[in-house]
Amino acid sequence: MNGRAITSDLLLGMIPIVLLVALWQALVSFGYAPVTLLPPPGQVFSRMAQQLLSTTFQQEIAATLFRLFAGFSIATVLGVTIGLAAAVNPAVNAVVRPIVRVLAPLPKVALYPALLLLVGFGHQSKILLVTFDALFPILLATYYGASTVEQKLIWSAMAAGTPPREILFKVVLPAAAPSILTGCRIGLVISCIVVFLAEMITSTDGLGHALVTAARTFQAVDMFVPLITISLVGLILNGLLELVRSYLLRGFPEA
Amino acid sequence: MIRRIAPLLACLGLLVAWQLASLALKNDSFPTALEAIRAIPAVLGDKDSLVNFGASLRRMAIGFAAAVVISIPLGLLMGRSRAVASFFNPLLMVIYPVPKAALMPIIMLWLGVGDLSKTLVIFLGVSLPVIYHSFEGAKAVEEKMLWSGAAMGLSAVQRLVRIVLPAALPEILTGCRTGLVLALITMITSEMIARQSGAGNILFNALDMGQYDTVFAMIIIVGAMGIVLDALFERLRARLVRWSEPQFDIPLSFS
Repeated sequence: MNGRAITSDLLLGMIPIVLLVALWQALVSFGYAPVTLLPPPGQVFSRMAQQLLSTTFQQEIAATLFRLFAGFSIATVLGVTIGLAAAVNPAVNAVVRPIVRVLAPLPKVALYPALLLLVGFGHQSKILLVTFDALFPILLATYYGASTVEQKLIWSAMAAGTPPREILFKVVLPAAAPSILTGCRIGLVISCIVVFLAEMITSTDGLGHALVTAARTFQAVDMFVPLITISLVGLILNGLLELVRSYLLRGFPEA
Repeated sequence: MIRRIAPLLACLGLLVAWQLASLALKNDSFPTALEAIRAIPAVLGDKDSLVNFGASLRRMAIGFAAAVVISIPLGLLMGRSRAVASFFNPLLMVIYPVPKAALMPIIMLWLGVGDLSKTLVIFLGVSLPVIYHSFEGAKAVEEKMLWSGAAMGLSAVQRLVRIVLPAALPEILTGCRTGLVLALITMITSEMIARQSGAGNILFNALDMGQYDTVFAMIIIVGAMGIVLDALFERLRARLVRWSEPQFDIPLSFS
């Protein structure tokens, strides 16, 4: 793909977004939607710029990001460890498989009331919820990636005299890396979604709380701002993960 | 045999762990597993709550079905045509990290608290993973098969339906499975935000009124719903794509 193709792709991709904003503007300008229900895009974006510069809003973002990162990191560490262990050890596999089978499809938001009652209304309950939700995609992707490592690779390493522990870190883990990173990507999007929802349910700060406050006072403009912010946060984090991915997978074909 | 009952054993193990934890913690707001299970008949026996569950499931089914019907063709088209892909990709990337249930307050302003807004939110929540997986699946279809199809005189539409769709089916169904869990999550959260009817309404009202055994009974019921739906879907999936089952049940051998 050359540079010009990328530029034209980008232009093509901008069309639906521009159309959407134009439709939004048109709905307001031609009076189909009252301004109180659907504020014009200009107003929303200027409000957003103003909010991004204010310290209170920055603190909301910081609170959300802290919970998101804490939950996501714990989920990544746990998911990769358990996934690898289940892939290489039959005993662990026998225990983990049925538990994951039961817990993975469980809607974790339903657990949130239990978490609230158990660990309170602070950071912990939200971080735990993010962890629970992001854990399973990462765990399953790790397990899948590690189980499908080519046996020949392992045999070659064994023939070269690598001890089993090192095979795990030098052969299985790198070979499973693309799959693990795909799992992380899904986990990251889920973390964004869940942290926001948890803050909407009960919180005193964070982007989700900002949305609920705006909704209770019928400030339509302020309802759009947190939503656009979380979308931007998701985009930026996804971009960062993409960078990490292309760095970690630099040896892989078409990664 | 052991394979079949393993998930049941896992459920039992989790319940026992819960029972022990609550006995050890002796917390008023953390009933034991037995108490929670005893509260289930009271919840299910109530006619009102059955109506609520029915309403929830109906919204979920409609939202899920509509999302699948629209997303699969869109995802397949994106996978096969670069123009379509670059047209929709940026828009989808912007929408993906936005928690769909968080749109509830805004959509409620426009469409009211009724079925329409909740079904719409579920629809949005389900469509993204389905589009994404259909897209990935269609992108990975082998060119040679398409060439053979074209050489045998299949039109572009026929190729899409008879070659791309079956070849991408395993990936599409993975997306549908994620979508199913997301539908349940979105259903609960949308009902939590618009407290009017549904399972989420019962759950969070019980939490607010401090009826903790009802809260935990509802968690069990909603969890069971997730597990049962997932198991049913898994059975359907296994039947549809038996030919592509990856054989990754064999643990890697090097230890």
